[in-house]
Amino acid sequence: VYQNVVAVQQMARRSICSSARRQVENKVPQKQKVFQEDNGMPVHLKGGSSDALLYRATMALTVLGVGFTLYELVKASFPQKKD
Amino acid sequence: MAHQAHAMLYSVDPSPSPLTGAVAALLMTSGLAISMHFHTTTLMSLGLVLLLLTMYQSSRDIIREGTFQGHHTPPVQKGLRYGMILFITSEVFFFLGFFSAFYHSSLAPTPELGGCSPPTGITTLNPFEVPLLNTAVLLASGVTVTSAHHSIMEGQRKQAIQSLTLTILLGFYFTALQAMEYYEAPFTIADGVYGSTFFVATGFHGLHVIIGSTFFAICLLRQAQYHFTSDHHFGFEAAASYSHSCLMSYDSSFTSLFTDEAS
Repeated sequence: VYQNVVAVQQMARRSICSSARRQVENKVPQKQKVFQEDNGMPVHLKGGSSDALLYRATMALTVLGVGFTLYELVKASFPQKKD
Repeated sequence: MAHQAHAMLYSVDPSPSPLTGAVAALLMTSGLAISMHFHTTTLMSLGLVLLLLTMYQSSRDIIREGTFQGHHTPPVQKGLRYGMILFITSEVFFFLGFFSAFYHSSLAPTPELGGCSPPTGITTLNPFEVPLLNTAVLLASGVTVTSAHHSIMEGQRKQAIQSLTLTILLGFYFTALQAMEYYEAPFTIADGVYGSTFFVATGFHGLHVIIGSTFFAICLLRQAQYHFTSDHHFGFEAAASYSHSCLMSYDSSFTSLFTDEAS
């Protein structure tokens, strides 16, 4: 049992050490290159296709939302008489 | 000369965020009204989702403009600082309104309240229990945020990350304690003017602590990704100023809202 405990302790120490060594890389210079590229794209789309996807989803919700609001407000303005 | 001054400023690219943000506000407000009459939260929830999407995309774009495109020159930063100061000032006045409401009712208590403050029938919270602990927690977070700031200015990356993390944890601890106090309180928001002023003031304050913690969490992510330099880290300074003002408002609450005898 004692040998098992020691083995688990050694494994735990190894995995903690390796995760502590995993450094976050400085990607700012790469990002600066991407966003300073002279491609005429506005900043909200300059990051690539995921920007465009998020933009389209947000705009779809915006348009749907305005429609839904108008519908609910018109519905609320003409209350149905209960029989 | 004029041309030089203008080269240091910049105009933002056209963005959909003002429109989507405005529509989010429309959906949330109409949705709130609809939810009160028809017991359906769909519209309001849709507005909230749209708000979160707008907040994410607009702050992402500002980070791109500043950190990746280099547009936040010293004159631009000055403008951003003015903007943050003006916004914080407006928040201070927002809280002053709620304090006015409290003092209006507590300094000259009406016969309906029993002619005394706190009103008859209200069992107040002991200010030297959880409220005092909460004050200490927020003050401690003021210390850790100052430590984080100095670490950033000295270029000490690891220490800055540690201090920022501790600041956020203290913010969460405050929120957890406050939630517990709310659950255990012997009076509710419906208990007369005392209950109303207490829960609206402390409630808005608690929301601002959550906003501060979120702002710091974003700063932590940015610090980890090397966005901040030792002499350019305005996003962090904005978060710190906002949280310090939040802390000041809690200290004022503590000395007024939490007293257990007539003030």
